[in-house]
Amino acid sequence: MTSIRLLELLLLMAALAGFLGLLLRRNLFLKVLAMDVLGSSVVGLFVLFSARSGLRSPILQLPGRAAAFADPVPQGVILTAIVIGLSIQALLLVVVTQLAQMDPSLDTDSFDQRTTE
Amino acid sequence: MIEPISPFSDPLALWLSAWLLFPFLAAFLAALRADLGKGLILLSCLGTAAVAGGCLPGDRATELSLLGELGVSLLVDRLAGWFLLLNALLFAAVVLEGWDRPQFQARPMLLLVLQGGLSVSFVATDLISWYVTLELVGVAAFLLVVLPQRDATLWVSLRYLLVSNTAMNLYLIGAGLIYVQQESFRLSALDGLPFGAPQVFLLIGLFTKAGVFVAGLWLPRTHSEAPAEISALLSGVVVTGGVVPLLRLAATDAVLFSAIRWVGMASAVLGVVYALNTGDAKRLLAWSTLSQMGLVVLSPLSGGAMALGHGLAKGALFLSARQFPTRDLKEWRSQALTAVPLAVVWLASLSIAGLPPLAGFAAKKQLDGALPGSWSSMVMLVSVGTVAVYARLWTVELERKPLPPRQAEPLLPRLLAFGLLLLPLGVGAELIAPTGSLAPTLLSTGLVFGAGLLLHRLLQPLRPLPLPMLERLDQLLGGAVMLGAGLLAAFTGGFA
Repeated sequence: MTSIRLLELLLLMAALAGFLGLLLRRNLFLKVLAMDVLGSSVVGLFVLFSARSGLRSPILQLPGRAAAFADPVPQGVILTAIVIGLSIQALLLVVVTQLAQMDPSLDTDSFDQRTTE
Repeated sequence: MIEPISPFSDPLALWLSAWLLFPFLAAFLAALRADLGKGLILLSCLGTAAVAGGCLPGDRATELSLLGELGVSLLVDRLAGWFLLLNALLFAAVVLEGWDRPQFQARPMLLLVLQGGLSVSFVATDLISWYVTLELVGVAAFLLVVLPQRDATLWVSLRYLLVSNTAMNLYLIGAGLIYVQQESFRLSALDGLPFGAPQVFLLIGLFTKAGVFVAGLWLPRTHSEAPAEISALLSGVVVTGGVVPLLRLAATDAVLFSAIRWVGMASAVLGVVYALNTGDAKRLLAWSTLSQMGLVVLSPLSGGAMALGHGLAKGALFLSARQFPTRDLKEWRSQALTAVPLAVVWLASLSIAGLPPLAGFAAKKQLDGALPGSWSSMVMLVSVGTVAVYARLWTVELERKPLPPRQAEPLLPRLLAFGLLLLPLGVGAELIAPTGSLAPTLLSTGLVFGAGLLLHRLLQPLRPLPLPMLERLDQLLGGAVMLGAGLLAAFTGGFA
C-alpha cells in the first residue's frame, strides 16, 4: 500500500508541475505542453487507482482461479479522457501555429494586450 | 425512488434514447449534406421541446438506465426540463434568424453536436458523463468561435479551450478521488461524503464551465468577440451545461450547497460591478451573464426558471447586437435603432431586470421564495445593480427614417426567431407559477427599479472607475485555482 501512496504523491506532484508550467511559462507553446503534462498525470492517476485491487488484466480466466484483477472501470473511463485530451491538444497547436504568424515569439502578454478594449 | 427503465424493455426509454442519439447522427448527415443542416437542427429542436414538454408540468421524472449496473443512468426530470426547453427554443431561434443570411457563421454540423452534447449534460447524473459532454460542448463551442478566423477570435478561443480543459483535468482528479472512496462515479456516491479536496476539484471544473465568479473570467471576452449568433448560443445555453451539474450537486449535500451558494452570490456581485463599468455594449451583456449565472446557481428550486428567463432574453439581446449602431456605450445616447431591434432590446432587458409580468420577474420571485431572508436582500441589491446595468441600453432612440433597401433584411424569419424567444418571456410567467401575494413584490420591484435608475444617474459621470483588470490568461488560470483553495480553507474548517 505504501508504494501506491508514494506513486500517488508523485503523480499529484507531476500534475502540480504541469499546472505551475501553465501558470508561469510566458511562451504559449510551452503552456500548451504544460497542459499536456497535467493531462498525462491525470491519466496516470486513474491507471494507479485501477491498480489498487490488483495488477492482472481484468480478463476472465479459468473458473475457480481467482486472481487479483485490476479495476476495469477507471481504466475504461480514462480512455475517453485520453482521446479528448489528444484532440484538444491538436486543436490548440493548430491555433498556436496561426498565432505564431501574428507574433513569432508567442508571448502570451502580447496577445492579451492586442485584444484589450 | 423512481424505478429505472431500460431501452430494451420499455418503449418510452427507446424513444428517449432515440432523441438523445438523433443530433449526433444528424450531425454526420449534415457534414455530408450541408443543405439539410438547418432543417435537421429544427427537427432536433422539436424533439427536445417535446421531451421538455413531457417533464415540465408536474413532477414527473424518468430514470433511464443504459447497460445495467455499471452503465450510464440518465434522469429526465423537471430540472432538466427547464434547460431542455431553453436548449430547443434558443437553437431554433438562432437557426431561423440566420435562415437566409448568406454570412451565417455557424456550421450546422457543429450546432447539432453542441445541442446534442448539451441535452445529454442536462440529463446525465454521473461524474464521467458530465466530463465527456462538457468537453464535447467545449470543443464544439471553441470551433464555432474560431472558424470565422479573425485575429481576435483566435486568441480568445484558444484561451477558452486552454482554461476549460485545464479546469476539466482538475475535475477528473476530483472524480478519481471520489471513485477511490466510494467505488462509483454516480451522483449518489457524493451522499454523506465529508466535504474536502475531491469536491473542490469538481467545483473548480464546473464553475469554470458555468462561467461563475473568478473561475468564469474567461467568459466576458469570449462571448463578446464571437459573431452575434454564436454569442447568443454561448451566453444563453452553453454556459448552462455546467450549471445543471452544479444544481444537481447542490441538491446532494448541505456543505456543498452552501459553498456553491456563496460563490454564486460573489459571482452575481462581481458581474454587476464590471458590467456597470465597461464601455462596450457586447461586453456589458457578457458580464451580465456572469452575474446572472451566479443567481441561477443559488438554488436548485428556482435555477431552472432563472436560467430559462435569462437564456431567452440574453439570446435575443445578443442576436439583436448585430443591429447595434455602435458597441461604444459612450456614443450610445446619440444613436438610433430601428423598431424591431429596439423592441427586442427593451423587452429582453426589462425581463432580465425583473419587470412584471415578464418571465424574468416570475423567476426572480421564485428565487426569492427559495432563499432565506438575508440572502433575499442580497439578491435585491444585485437586482438594483442589474437595473442600472441595463438602463445604459435604454438611452438609445427609435430610428424614424426608413433604412436604405441595401440594409433591409428579410423580415419573416427574424420575426419568427424573436417571437420564439420573446413570446415565452411574456407568457412564461404562467409556467413558472409564482407563489404568494403580489402586492409586496410589486412594491419591492418598484423600489428596485427606482434605486437602479438612481444608481445609473450617479455612476454616469464617474465612469470608468479604476477597477483592476482581471482577464489576462494567467489570471484566468490562477483565479480558478485560488477559488478552489479558498473553498477548501473556508468549508473544511467547520466554518459552515
